[in-house]
Amino acid sequence: MAENEEFIAEFLIEAIENLDQLDQDLVALENDPSNPDRLASIFRTVHTIKGTCGFFGFSKLGSLTHHGEHLLGLLRDGSLSFDDQLASLLLDMTDAIRVILGSIESTREEGSDDFADLCHRLDAAVAGTPTIAQAEDTGPSDHPSATDQPDIQTPPSDVPSATPPPPESSDGQATDAAPPPQVGEPQVSESTAENQPAELPAAAAPSKPKASPPPETPLPRPSAAAESTIRVDISLLDTIVDLVGELVLARNQLRSTAEDNPALTSAVNRIHTVTGELQEAAMQTRMASIDQLFSKFPRIVRDVSATCGKQVELSVDGADTELDRTLIEKIRDPLTHLIRNAIDHGIEQPSARVAAGKPTAGQLSLRAFHESGQVTIEVADDGGGISVEMIRSKAIARGLVTTAQAETMSAERILQFIFEPGFSTAETVSSISGRGVGMDVVRTNIESIGGTVDISSKPGEGTVVRVRIPLTLAIIPALIVTAGGERLAIPQPYVQELVALRDTKGGNRIEGLEGAPILRLRDRLIPVVYLDRWLGLRTWESRPTTGTVVIVQVDDHEFGLVVDAVSTANQQQTATSESVGLWFIVVKPIGSLLAPLGIYSGATVMGDGGVVLILDLRGIALATDIPSRVHENAGVTLQAEEDQTAFSTQNAARYLACETYSSRRIAVQLTDIIRLETFPHGDISHTGSQYYVKRDGHLLPLLDPDQMTGTTRIQESLEASPSLVAVIVTTPTGSVALAVKRILDVDAAESDQVEHSKQPGLLGTLLLGGLATDEIDVSVALKNFPQSHAS
Amino acid sequence: MNPNASQPLSPLQPKADNRWFTFLVADRCFAVDVSLVSEVLRNAALSRVPLAAPALAGLLNLRGRIVPVIDLRIRFGFSTYDRDKPRTNVVVEYCNEWYSLLVDDLLDVVTLEPHEMGTPSSERGNPQIDAVSGVLAAADSLIHFLDLERVFQPLLTSKTRGLAVG
Repeated sequence: MAENEEFIAEFLIEAIENLDQLDQDLVALENDPSNPDRLASIFRTVHTIKGTCGFFGFSKLGSLTHHGEHLLGLLRDGSLSFDDQLASLLLDMTDAIRVILGSIESTREEGSDDFADLCHRLDAAVAGTPTIAQAEDTGPSDHPSATDQPDIQTPPSDVPSATPPPPESSDGQATDAAPPPQVGEPQVSESTAENQPAELPAAAAPSKPKASPPPETPLPRPSAAAESTIRVDISLLDTIVDLVGELVLARNQLRSTAEDNPALTSAVNRIHTVTGELQEAAMQTRMASIDQLFSKFPRIVRDVSATCGKQVELSVDGADTELDRTLIEKIRDPLTHLIRNAIDHGIEQPSARVAAGKPTAGQLSLRAFHESGQVTIEVADDGGGISVEMIRSKAIARGLVTTAQAETMSAERILQFIFEPGFSTAETVSSISGRGVGMDVVRTNIESIGGTVDISSKPGEGTVVRVRIPLTLAIIPALIVTAGGERLAIPQPYVQELVALRDTKGGNRIEGLEGAPILRLRDRLIPVVYLDRWLGLRTWESRPTTGTVVIVQVDDHEFGLVVDAVSTANQQQTATSESVGLWFIVVKPIGSLLAPLGIYSGATVMGDGGVVLILDLRGIALATDIPSRVHENAGVTLQAEEDQTAFSTQNAARYLACETYSSRRIAVQLTDIIRLETFPHGDISHTGSQYYVKRDGHLLPLLDPDQMTGTTRIQESLEASPSLVAVIVTTPTGSVALAVKRILDVDAAESDQVEHSKQPGLLGTLLLGGLATDEIDVSVALKNFPQSHAS
Repeated sequence: MNPNASQPLSPLQPKADNRWFTFLVADRCFAVDVSLVSEVLRNAALSRVPLAAPALAGLLNLRGRIVPVIDLRIRFGFSTYDRDKPRTNVVVEYCNEWYSLLVDDLLDVVTLEPHEMGTPSSERGNPQIDAVSGVLAAADSLIHFLDLERVFQPLLTSKTRGLAVG
């Protein structure tokens, strides 16, 4: 049977593709039962499978598809009308076919399952129509015998087709029942086939694997388009793509060495152009549209929502988005889980939705699109959302984070805990999801291909899960920087500007709000990360004064990476590059060991053979908690300072100077400050004369610095302005928010002399920015606060 | 430098399962299925990976393919090697990806009968070698058979969450 091997393999590939199409069509038909084209398409698919299995002797499959085809024929001709029950029945049939095909795939046998029951049900559905009442008499001879007989006796198709279907004696009546356009044919085939009931493939040989469509519905078949394509072994394509990648690297090396040699220039330019085009073409072979994945989801959504008892409408956008075919396989499971999750946990029961004023049917939307060198897939639902507070409490309860740490984390960072193993917050563990093994596997799978996943949610409104996947073997423009002696690459699309660190007055300075350094750039405050220290490449006590800050923007968050230097591209001047320092690098995947680190999105091989890691800016932003740091600085601006006092007072303590509501200057030590934040009125509450501000679900005492010296004006200031600026300070006993009118500046104390004042709450007065400023004693403030809590 | 491994006692099976690639790490002999080994490099230059697990010694550029290198001394908890001494990279394929094992030195490819292998005994010392699936006493040494999945598994799940800010 060796020759058959190849044919069986091809049969399996096509049949499985056809089944996927069947799923889609059936689900679509359920939503729009009047579409005749779909019905015809479904019919053809089943008919094709039926015809082919005759060729190979798959009798169970043949019998099953025969019954299905019978039913479908009636539907197609209008004798039966399509309803949910029929849809489920036919989907069951599809699943059964899948099971048999799976068995054939692994054992080349049909397997031991018996589908007589399913065949009964199909027949019962058929018998439900008045016009087929006669056929019922012939029924008994149809099904059980068909499945019992091991040979190929595909019971007759009472449907018109070009292929002469094999035999069975007793179905003259069945044929009459369904009005076939070509009445003549079936009879002809019956008589010939009747003679050879026990004959195997020979008798059925005339059944071609591909049946031509019934002539009355002249829809263009997919095969018409398929004729301009061929099947190629994927590993061959991979080899080609790899070789092209090598070629690109070699070309780059050639360009740099050939620069000095004019005789080579024209040939090198030609090679450059051709290689570029070859690379694009090679990439195209690897690309497939994500539709092949998305098309499976309508069925899954239907099944899951039925099981959960919910109503869900699925909308799909961007199914034609393309990405590397290997990646499509890898995101299949994670996406499926996310969809199940959204239906199971996100979208509420219809009654709950109506009570909440939402439409009965939940909206589940699946979007895919390209965005700055990556493919982004969003799974969004309009369900109940996720409570950040609940996640935070759970994370603390599980010891994943301390209360103090959790307090400083942004909502996005908190929601990431959902991806920790075993974290499910579902009240009841359902059979579909919620066992707590899902989300961590989702993240691991996505990260193993160099992607990222994050969640954002609004309680009561819904949740969006965003999966971002890099496009592989891309050539991207990047900056090559050095930090701590290592070379690193920063993808150019994110880079906004470069700022040199200077240690003289008049330049841009980095202020050390402890633990969260900020660059003051003109009148913006930008959080920065010292790459050399953060990556563990170098340690230092006082902040370096030379270097460059690379200002990047990721997803509306702007931050800076402090590096030693940015490489100039003296070897890589290309005609299209306008900026000095831009390198074109081939992105190579970094593999499963490195991807989970979350801070590298790939690596590249430089002309000198060295490997340079490409920084994943989103990952770095998340790991350094940039989103919350950026938020806190929004709306707070510093006065531009024309003149600095001598920076030589580096050893002097640094302070944040603010103006209080009574227009007094006060200073707080930088080392005590956690952050600066602006609060809308809604976040401010009070009991009696004690004020509180709500921050990430916690209440912090809100103090007016003037209050410590006897006056308070929080109430007035609340009435005067829409929001309140506060300096959040930490003390050994907890955090406190100091309400100020505005933030003035950050400075070093110009005088070492601090007069200790006798006023409680004041440590003294010092010279800051040339002006006398009162230094606040925060711990006193807390002690005096009647109901201060350590939060 | 042959360990005195057992002599081949019976004809080779059609599959390569009985042929083992052996090497030295911290004076101990380890073996992996030879069919998993794709090549061997001596003194290859490695690029560092900041913030990666200590066992990840770096990245190797293998004709354009980027291969992570796992220092088996660190992975198994042995003392670190003298920096000046050359080391060898054994490039293996696992789950469709390539990895390199950084070892001290190469030994022979030997043929061994599976039924001769015993289970690793923990009192023999080195309980930290969690990746060993069997041992075989040879003439003057103990051969530890490596299960690559167990070698890599702990490394695949390490992350760098909770990094210092700034």
